[in-house]
Amino acid sequence: MPSINKYDAIVIGGGHNGLTAAAYLSRAGKKVLVLERRHVLGGAAVTEEVFPGFKFSVCSYVVSLMKPNVMRELMLPKFGLELLPLESTFTPLDGDYLMRTADGDQTYREIARHSKKDAEAYKRFGPLMGQIGMAVRPILETIAPNALRPSLSDMLAAKRLLDHFKTLSNEQFEYLTKLMTMSSADFLDEWFEFEPLKSTMSASGIIGTFMGPRSPGSAYVMLHHYMGDIDGAFRAWGFQRGGTGEVSMAIARSAEHFGATIMTEASVKNVIVKNGRATGVALENGDEYISDMVISGLDPKLSFLKMVEEKELPSDFVRSIKNFRIRGSSGKVNLALDGLPDFTCLPGEGHHHRGAISISPDFDYLENAYDDAKYGNFSKRPFMDIILPSVLDPEMAPPGKHVMSCFVQYAPYNLKGGWDDNKREAFGDAVVNALARYAPNIKDIILHRQVLTPADLEDTFGLTEGNIFHGELTVQQLFSLRPAVKWADYTTPIKNYFQCGSGTHPGGGITGSPGEMAAKKILGIH
Amino acid sequence: MAQYDIIVIGSGINSLVAASIIAKAGKKVLVLEAREKIGGLASTNEFAPGFQCNAIYDTLKWIDPRIIKELQIQSQGLELIEMDIKRIALGEKENKHIIFHKDPLLTSDSIADHSREDSKKWIDFTTHIEKLTKFLEKLYQLAPPSLPDIGLLDALSMRSLLGPLMGQGPQGLVNLARTAPMMMPELMDEWFENELLRSALSTAGTHGLSYGPYASGTGYNFLHQHLHSKGIIHNSSSVKGGTGAFPAILNNILSSNNADVRTRVKVTSINIKNNVCEGVTTLEGEEILSNQVISGLDPQSTFINLVGNQNLDPSFHTQIKNIKYRGSTARIHFALKDMPKIEGVNEDQMNTVFSISPSMEYLEKASDAVKYGFISENPYVEFSIPSTVNPEFSPDGKHVLTASVQYAPYHLSDSDWDQSSKEQLKQNTIQVLEKKIPDITKLIENSVVHSPKDLEDEFGLTEGNLNHGEMTLDQLLFMRPTASSSQYSTPFKNLFLCGPGTHPGGGLHGMNGYNAAKKVLKG
Amino acid sequence: MSYKNQFHAETQLKLSPFFDRTSVLNESQEWRRWSGYLSATNYELNHENEYFAIRTKAALLDITPLYKYLIEGPDSQKFLHRLVTRNINICKVGQVMYTPWCDEKGKVIDDGTVQRLSDHKFRITSAEPNLEWLEHNSVGMDLAISDDSSTTAALALQGPNSRDILNAVAKETLDDLKFFWMKNTRFGDIPVSISRTGYTGDLGYEIWMDPSDALLVWDMLIEKGKPYGITPTGLQALDISRIEAGLILLDVDYISSRHALIESRKSSPFELGLGWSVKMKKDNFIGKRALEKELKNGPEWEFVGIEIEWAQLEKHYRKAGLAPGLPSTAWRTSTPLYSGSEQVGYATSGAWSPILKRYIALAHIKNGYSKEGTVLDFELKVEHFRKLTPAKVVKTPFFDPERKRSCPA
Repeated sequence: MPSINKYDAIVIGGGHNGLTAAAYLSRAGKKVLVLERRHVLGGAAVTEEVFPGFKFSVCSYVVSLMKPNVMRELMLPKFGLELLPLESTFTPLDGDYLMRTADGDQTYREIARHSKKDAEAYKRFGPLMGQIGMAVRPILETIAPNALRPSLSDMLAAKRLLDHFKTLSNEQFEYLTKLMTMSSADFLDEWFEFEPLKSTMSASGIIGTFMGPRSPGSAYVMLHHYMGDIDGAFRAWGFQRGGTGEVSMAIARSAEHFGATIMTEASVKNVIVKNGRATGVALENGDEYISDMVISGLDPKLSFLKMVEEKELPSDFVRSIKNFRIRGSSGKVNLALDGLPDFTCLPGEGHHHRGAISISPDFDYLENAYDDAKYGNFSKRPFMDIILPSVLDPEMAPPGKHVMSCFVQYAPYNLKGGWDDNKREAFGDAVVNALARYAPNIKDIILHRQVLTPADLEDTFGLTEGNIFHGELTVQQLFSLRPAVKWADYTTPIKNYFQCGSGTHPGGGITGSPGEMAAKKILGIH
Repeated sequence: MAQYDIIVIGSGINSLVAASIIAKAGKKVLVLEAREKIGGLASTNEFAPGFQCNAIYDTLKWIDPRIIKELQIQSQGLELIEMDIKRIALGEKENKHIIFHKDPLLTSDSIADHSREDSKKWIDFTTHIEKLTKFLEKLYQLAPPSLPDIGLLDALSMRSLLGPLMGQGPQGLVNLARTAPMMMPELMDEWFENELLRSALSTAGTHGLSYGPYASGTGYNFLHQHLHSKGIIHNSSSVKGGTGAFPAILNNILSSNNADVRTRVKVTSINIKNNVCEGVTTLEGEEILSNQVISGLDPQSTFINLVGNQNLDPSFHTQIKNIKYRGSTARIHFALKDMPKIEGVNEDQMNTVFSISPSMEYLEKASDAVKYGFISENPYVEFSIPSTVNPEFSPDGKHVLTASVQYAPYHLSDSDWDQSSKEQLKQNTIQVLEKKIPDITKLIENSVVHSPKDLEDEFGLTEGNLNHGEMTLDQLLFMRPTASSSQYSTPFKNLFLCGPGTHPGGGLHGMNGYNAAKKVLKG
Repeated sequence: MSYKNQFHAETQLKLSPFFDRTSVLNESQEWRRWSGYLSATNYELNHENEYFAIRTKAALLDITPLYKYLIEGPDSQKFLHRLVTRNINICKVGQVMYTPWCDEKGKVIDDGTVQRLSDHKFRITSAEPNLEWLEHNSVGMDLAISDDSSTTAALALQGPNSRDILNAVAKETLDDLKFFWMKNTRFGDIPVSISRTGYTGDLGYEIWMDPSDALLVWDMLIEKGKPYGITPTGLQALDISRIEAGLILLDVDYISSRHALIESRKSSPFELGLGWSVKMKKDNFIGKRALEKELKNGPEWEFVGIEIEWAQLEKHYRKAGLAPGLPSTAWRTSTPLYSGSEQVGYATSGAWSPILKRYIALAHIKNGYSKEGTVLDFELKVEHFRKLTPAKVVKTPFFDPERKRSCPA
């Protein structure tokens, strides 16, 4: 082997977390190689020109959770990070609508149209969630301690967190407890009465999660989504100019700036393990690369059940990984449009096209959608979180044309009878029909349609079961238990083999956090 | 001048336990019961001429061992009948049932008929569950610590948890932390493949809840049902003379300790002056003064109905208002002309508990009804024939079959709980029973349906919830009933709580009453 | 030279029923948002004339954006009595009471006036929406709460000539209407309620009417008021006069405890100079227990008036080669106050008082530094540089004319 193939660290997977880890390690002077199976970087955070002239954030579509220090330390704005605010959330209803915008007064009035009490409560709700988010942030920024055999630094970290919790007011602690355990519907019921408001807010509690808004545990996912932070403003969602892939590209450019080597179309077959140590990787094409350490940005199932042989791992660990819940429940429909959707309840072009559009008219609608999936079908009338990137960034589509990104739930990975082309198209039709209920012109303006089922997400992006978070965000799969007890600090039972994907603490979303913390753990900074 | 040291409102098991412990300590105690007889949810009633039933609970799952010891209830005459067969989960195929024996090896054999793999894991599973419940057994004996600023005393009081911790190591706690928030399919996926078994176990996780097995937190409820069961799954025992014998014995203890027990006295107000509780007022207008008052009623009844909104601080009012009840379990008592026959079940096995839930999906579908506010079309039915254990429940040769039916939500979206909805619930139940007891319709000579609304009217249970508040993770420990009143005390001086709405929740175990009594006595 | 200028924009802001008049009169086209309404900052290019209208003539202000709630039913008195700190049981029909209301920790949520319209009917005004709080605390009571914010329009007529104008318009004389009382009367055929209340600390009235009558009422007042110097007045002038009157403003001088994110942002009535309004002898009201405790231990903060002393102020400017720079309008930026090297408080709003010719401000001061006459150091920016200049704790109201309360003999 020529010495050129020897690296300090190899990162498997050019998703945004893998790239983040690579950037941090390179920044610390390590010689790093990133290996990406596909021809494009970004993993689930990727932009592709799916149809000529129409660019899509194919999978992950909004940015809110990106950690500010990652953006600064990796100099991402210099390398192309440019987040445009999504200024509103629009929920079309039959004959009316609900609109929430960046202007507090306007939002107050809009909600007050439906319920004055809710409008008042809403003013208090956001700041409270911000406070809770602030209370939780130290947990997210701590490397999860080993709960079985805590080291001294684990104990110190735990002590710091306990001390932090003592500073919370009783009220905050109570809300935090509720958020960790309740359903988002129940949590919101305590605050609001206007159902479309509640159901739309609850929707962030089901995104990427195989639960309904009335399922206990969904409130935590809602909180997870509330911790978005753009320009220091909590809960501000943003759209990356040029599509989400540009976030990954910015990180990739940063990594290269610091000296990392990035290879695409380099599919890793397995990690080479010798005497319980990772020593490199073998590619599908037979090439081998040697390194002092290997870091996997893949999900836990792939990292441990595919990349290494089971015999290399302790059996209780294998059992934990097998028990790790990673049910895919969402699909993505990307539409190339000849114009803008015209909503019956708010005709014409307007502010509502510039923000998120949520198809979530009431709890029963969402629960019905969930019930379909629970019993193995895709939702006949699905929940959708929609944005029109071309309104914010005209370069995403040819002049006058538009791209529309529909995140869709529920589409179970384990569909009864399995996914096939017919089912995929039927799923796509269900999405378009659900949209047409509120924007009847949609059927006439669709030029192209890309439908991604969870099975497609698995095939294309290597997301096991198509789960966008690399494992569900349930209480028993968080912190010291993510992905498995004792191995929640980015290490693995194999020496010199590390993990840095969303399947590790603190979980999914475009945060950069697992990648950053894994790198810092490796470098011994934490 | 106070007439009593303590007034206890209500005479359910917890109230009677609290009253007994306090009376034994030499205090002057008065128990007030609105119904004509004591016992609350542990009562035994005549529901049709010559036919008796256990109002709510046909079996006891566990009793706080401290109560058994301190009140010596067994030497006072409480006779528990331990069955060898704890439960039979009726399978869809005629005679393929799973029989849960007291002896796990026999259960394992029964499971082997369905799945060899599952059978092999059974003993490990029961050991696993037993270990997890060890923590809860200790935790349940404590008043939950006040969080987040847990004090040294609180922390010291939790030292009893060190026992199981030493025994099992941190892995035990980790397992508990993993299992409690689980949904039943997660727990089952980790152990078993056979659907009947998975479903039969899941019914313990959904017992008394408004949720189905796919709800996180059902893992916790499963553990809650198995405390002090020594790993015997679906452990329970019957009471000789009917469940009502239990309160009767506590009543004897009370009278021998100089306590007054008055029935048909409905408390209409808990009297508060300057945030201090001074006694109660009854429906007849009688004002009874006491140094302290303990309410065995649920939080809604205690604070909203009896203390009154005007005395509640706004934030406490909000907390009380936010407690979720959502009773979804109905009880149907059938008077039968003869002993029903179930294929694959011997006559001598009829004294156990039967469950009809062929799959988890069946159970989950039944629970969907709650979300949309209708009565399950194919409900989960759990039944027993108490007249096999207590023959005096029915005339000779005849029998009583009592079914607990989930899900019958308190809040119906399109109707009230009137005769026709009750009739619908009954028909749905009969149609489920018919699959196992084909001639059930012919056997029925009388029946009575207790919807959650009836349970509310009869027993003062808010929304008919038997646990005085849902047993979900957000309403446990230091959150039960609210974060500001989780240690049996209330925002009001001299007013305490002892009902299932407090830690550690519902069932006829008496722990809440015992813990509350100790708290009151400590002062 | 004036220009006919028409401004047209699709606005998402609310328009008061007086907008047809105010929009035409607003020469400056300066508007502020007040509770979601477009409200005139000043009508003329400069607020001075409007300020002096308040103090020397009569100023007409559109105060429709106030939040207003009607509470009606047998339990309405009991409800309000528990809600607010003042004794509503002694509030007679036709009487008005200014009062704060608190959460259970005794921290102020809002302040406003309670009008007793009849035995079982009250109107309460507030700076922020309060429906949620009102409804939450009335559960189980025999009463109905309705949001009267957009169903009643309101004008303030403030200034020494205000009574004369009203007497010229109204069917009945206002001569006998005492401070903080109200009466129902008519302007021609139009029924109106007039309360002798205001936010200027001067003789003044507030007029409550059906929104459909708003323009007629406006026109009648302007017409009859002309000889008395009636002047449409904006919020700028109002702000100066309310500071002179020592009246607090929500979100400027204090933050509602419902919206304060941290404890230190909350204030009790004692900490806002509203101790006089807390009636501890009442059997019970929300916050009483906490306030009892606070009263026993003494409040942590006091809310006082301060006067920035002229001599040193002038010296600071002279040093920079400038004449004393005075704020031309009221300011609302929190400004530190020191005692020696320790910051012991902060001023939340202040203004140069044109009528008193004094530089005054309202300030939160730590207990112990708040006694009248205490001299503190006020932080001042002179030509980009920070200076300290002495400011003395003084009594409020700064301006308190006899005519505010008196009735004609």
